This record gives sequence, C-alpha cells and structure tokens, in this order.
Amino acid sequence: MTAEEWQIVWFTAWVSALSTILILPFGLAAAWLLARYQWPGKSIVETLISLPLVMPPVATGLILLKLFGRRGAIGGFLHDTLNLDIIFTWRGVLVSLAVMSFPLLVRSARVAFEGVNLRFEQIARTLGAGDFRVFFTITMPLALRGVVGGMILSFARALGEFGATIMVAGNIPGQTSTLSLAIFQSVQLGHDADAFRLLGISVVLAFVAVWWSEYFMRQRRR
Amino acid sequence: MSRWKTPFTWMATVIVACAPAPTDATTINVFAAASLTESLKEIAVAYEKRTGNKVVFNFGASSFLARQIEEGAPADIFFSADEARMDSLEKKGLVLKGTRKSRLSNSLVIVVALDSVLQIGSATDLTQTRVKRIALADPKTVPAGIYAKQYLEKQGLWNAVAPKVVPTDNVRAVLSAVGSGNVEAGMVYKTDAGISKKVRIACLIPSGEGPHISYPMAVVKDSRQLDAAKGFLKHLDSDEAARVFEKFGFIVRK
Amino acid sequence: MYLVLRQISLAVADFTIEVDVELQSQVTAVFGPSGAGKTSVLDLIAGLRRPQSAFIQLHGRVLTDTANRVEVPTRLREIGYVPQDLALFPHLSVHQNLLYGHNTKVETNHLFSFEHVTQVLEIQSLALRSVTDLSGGEKQRVALARALLTSPRLLLLDEPLASLDMNLKSKIIPYLARIRDEFRLPMLYITHDPEEVRALCDEVLVMDRGRIISRSPAAEPRWSGQTTA
Repeated sequence: MTAEEWQIVWFTAWVSALSTILILPFGLAAAWLLARYQWPGKSIVETLISLPLVMPPVATGLILLKLFGRRGAIGGFLHDTLNLDIIFTWRGVLVSLAVMSFPLLVRSARVAFEGVNLRFEQIARTLGAGDFRVFFTITMPLALRGVVGGMILSFARALGEFGATIMVAGNIPGQTSTLSLAIFQSVQLGHDADAFRLLGISVVLAFVAVWWSEYFMRQRRR
Repeated sequence: MSRWKTPFTWMATVIVACAPAPTDATTINVFAAASLTESLKEIAVAYEKRTGNKVVFNFGASSFLARQIEEGAPADIFFSADEARMDSLEKKGLVLKGTRKSRLSNSLVIVVALDSVLQIGSATDLTQTRVKRIALADPKTVPAGIYAKQYLEKQGLWNAVAPKVVPTDNVRAVLSAVGSGNVEAGMVYKTDAGISKKVRIACLIPSGEGPHISYPMAVVKDSRQLDAAKGFLKHLDSDEAARVFEKFGFIVRK
Repeated sequence: MYLVLRQISLAVADFTIEVDVELQSQVTAVFGPSGAGKTSVLDLIAGLRRPQSAFIQLHGRVLTDTANRVEVPTRLREIGYVPQDLALFPHLSVHQNLLYGHNTKVETNHLFSFEHVTQVLEIQSLALRSVTDLSGGEKQRVALARALLTSPRLLLLDEPLASLDMNLKSKIIPYLARIRDEFRLPMLYITHDPEEVRALCDEVLVMDRGRIISRSPAAEPRWSGQTTA
C-alpha cells in the first residue's frame, strides 16, 4: 500500500463519517415527523426522500451537478456570496454521500421511532414533558438501537458510493478520490493488483463497520 | 443426465430453428474515440446507404474502449485517439495484421466558457490564480489528456498546472465541465470545440508546438464480420471520408 | 362540578363518541364493555386526542374549546394518567420513573412530596430497582406514585386492576382508597369490575358504544346489569 492509497482510504472514511454526522439531525427530524404525524402531501415527501435510493445514482448525481454547480440554484448562491465551490471539490463528495445515504438513515430511524410505543410518549406528556424532552428522554433512548443501526448503514453506503460522486466531484487525485473511484480507475488503467488491494481494504472497512454495529446492538440488548 | 439432455436439446433445436436466416446486411461494431463522434456518424450514413450494412458505434475514451476490447467486447473496428492505445491492443494480438492505418491528426485548443471574462492567450495564462480549475481528459489514460500533459510538460508548465487539474473520463466531458462553469478552462481537440455551444476557443496550440497527435484505426482480429469490417475500414480511408473529416477540422495525412 | 364535558364528539372506528356530562363526585367510575370508548374519553380529557368538537373544563379552567380553537397542551393540564398497560419507562429505573414528572420547585403541597407519596404507596425500597424486575402489584403502585408526584388536579385511571389476580386486587384496592382519602384528588376510574366500583367509587357512569347510558350513585345496585360487561 502506497502513501497515496492510504490517503484515499483515510479520506473515504472521514468524509463518510462527516456525511453521516451531517445528515443525522435532518434524518432524525424527518424520520420523527414521518413516524408520528400525518399531513396532506405526506406521501410526496416520503417518495422524494426515497428517490436517491431507487434512482440510478448517476441520475441523482446529475441533479446534484445542476443544483450545486456554479450556475445552479444552490451552487450559484454559494459561489457568488461565499466564494464556495462544491463541484469538483471534497465538498462535492460530502454532498453526494450525504444525499445518497440520507434515505437509509430516515428509513431505519423511522422504523425505530414507530417501534416506540406511543403510550410512552403520551404518558411522558401527561407527566409534563414538552416535545423536545419527550424526544430526547423517551423516544431516542428507546429507539437507539434502530437509529444507530441506521447510522451505520448510512456510513457503509457512503463508503461505497460511486455513481453520484463521480459526477459531482470527479476523481481528482488527492482531492476527491474515494475508495470506489480509485478501484474503478485502477481497473480502467489495467492495474489489477492495485484494484484488488483497494478492494481488500473496502471489504475490511465494511466488515469492521458491520461488526462494530452488531457489537453495539448486543450491548444494548437487556 | 439423459433426462435433462432431451429438454435442452429440444430447446436448443427450437432456438436454432427460429434464428433469423443470415441476410446480406451485416452490422459492424465500431469502437471509436469520443472526438470522432460527429464525423464518423456522418461518414457512416453514406456507407450504409451504399452497402446496406449497418454501422453501430461505441464512442468513448480510447483507453476505456481498449480495455473493453481486451475483455472481449465484440468490436469489429477500433479507431483510437493515440498510437499507444492501439499498441497495447496489438501487443495482445487483438489487431488484424495489415489493417492498421494512421491517417488522421488533430490539434489542441484551450477552451473557456462562452461568457468567461478570463484572458487566456497562451498556455502560460493557465497558471494565473484566477484560473482555479482546469478540466482535462484523464492525463493518466485518455489520449486527449495525455497529449495535453505532454504539451504542458514540454512548456514547463505541468508542475504549476497539475494541482488544478480535474480529470474527466473522456474529452467530451471536458466540454461540459467548461460549459457548466464549474471549471475555468479546459483543453480539448480543436475538432471538439465547435461541438459545444457553451464554450469558445481561448487559444489554439499551434500544431508545430503541440504534441504529435495521431488517430490509428484497425480491424479487430476477433471480429465476426471480417469482410464487412475491412470494407468499412477502406471506406474510412477513402477521399470521400477524408473530406468529411477535414470538414470537421481534422488533419488528414496522405 | 369540577369537570365539565360538553358536546364531546369524537369519531372512532365503528361509531361516534358523544358525551355531555358534568362531574362532581370525587371518584367517578366509568363502567362499560370493552370498545365502548372509555379509554378514548380519558385520552380526550388528557389532551392526547383531538376531537371533532369538545368543551372541556377542569376546576374552572378551560382545557379544550374547539369552537374557540382553544387546546391546552397535555403537559400543562395537570392531569395524572395511569394507563391500562401502566407505561412505566423501561429504560429508566424506578426512581427515575417516579421523578420524571416531579418538579420540586412547583410542588407546594406536601401531600405530593416524594416522601409522602412513596410512603403512602409503600414503595420506598423499590427506588433503585429496574422497572422490569418488579412484580405486578409493585408496578401498579409505582405507576400510581409516578402520576401523583406531578401534583395533579385530576387522576385518570384506566382499568388499574384489570391485569391483576383476585389476591393482588384485594391488596391494591386499599392503596387506591388511601389515595382517594389522603390526597383528596378527583378521580375518573375506568373499570368493568362492579366490585371495584362499589369499593372505591361514589358515582358510576355507564357507557356503551360511545354514549353514557346511565348515571347513578355507586351504592345503587341497578346499574351493574345494564350492559353485557
């Protein structure tokens, strides 16, 4: 393994972790709203959130490219007012990973929240707790297993993300090169040995992520 | 075992019996560099009319296409953007001896977005701080990028420019990157610059200064349509085809 | 007339609950077969469900008035609720459960102090235990104590003794009597056991298919035959 390869591994891991942390508050909020409330148009929201899961990743990547490009609705604003570029930078990687792994977090967390007996939340209210207190002292602790499971799943999805990332961030050596992109490029170059080395690392990372999540789940089981 | 043999044999017989009878029309699969897209399509139209054969194109980065052919993709003709990709196939014995020809050349240009205010008179201007990112077809593998890197190295500019490079999968992707405004400049073939309405040529790399660009074409050895492939290759080598290539801005050598 | 329920209308699965009553006895039983809508009425009073229309007033304070779009949130209603499944928080200890709604700054009446409540219900020794370790009777008392520790102005009980055997029931009834006598809280008590009604309640409302079909003092015997309980 070369220094460059280690950099790729390290970069992939920390951007995936950052992405998971970034989507956490939004994902939990969305999951909570979907689990507990009804409103007209709810099914549209559900569908929109699930889209990145079902659409071809490159299609999602294309939408992000248009949205976050310098001429796009969001990208234009960021570029003009904050001099911040998303496309072809590590921030583009972050955005791709976040968008692609968001639906997995919401789904898992929603199931976890729905699994919390509504009665507990209701009784907590009769005991004087407001929405925030109910969420943090009752819902979250009881849903924790599922939520953490969702986070790990998101993280693993982010680790392996390719289609949207290559469109939005390209594969710039040292700047946006992730594990999946590097494997793809090695294959294209005919450097099979490199590709298999990186593949091995991917497997190890995925294995560690899943093992750790299982271990955590085991601890919580009373 | 014999219990399985009968249904399978029966199925195979039915399938073979239903297979379309061979007709005079053949389909020729051409794997060609992305920069040849418009010109080859136009050339194929005349050829199809005359012979009744069908030409199916697979355009992309020559490096990617070469890799596909190595892996067994059913190509009849390979039209590469540089000699090195063709060499690698020939070394693997995938090129039909005697069919390789190099007639086509091109030149490089630097393009910017149509509404760009940047002044880029020469490659040296790419080192300006205002030029934050430059799109090139992947200089590790794609001919257009390799040529660009060769040129920049020759000019002593590569070290300054390299950190700004955004590598793309093929040369056409450079056009869309520049056109979208997400990079300040890019280097493509002169023949590509006219394709996109969103970019304009900022400066031409004079062919004397530039790298030696050459587009070899050949019949793939494992082609199933050897005769038809050879026929189309001959057509590509003809004066009629040369006129089309020149129309699009390619340089045809005799 | 401490609890006023006027023009209550709530659609549930098969029928519409319609209630119009004003309560004055200290302990009122709500008696009726399962599915009559008794729990839903309690949920409404506690603010856990939204009715199509309702006017609810407790001790002179308007809690719900759909006509004027008044809906006091549950946490501000000062109503204690002991649900049928007790809903003791499994991830908290007994002590944490008890203190969940207890705010010593707000508590003005020593009757609802931690010491007094735990003493009345005899649960002082259970404090550090896990909720899942408790016996049925212990759980019952902890749930009651938890509700009392919020210094409520009304106590809602949904079949508090339903899941207990005869022996345990006879053990818990005195505690409920103690709550009635010590804390002097008005209580709304759902049950379908006539014995509990007679032991603890002053008045009984009989409900069937969402309506109150009779109302009488608990001592009178005739109400117990009015439904197929």
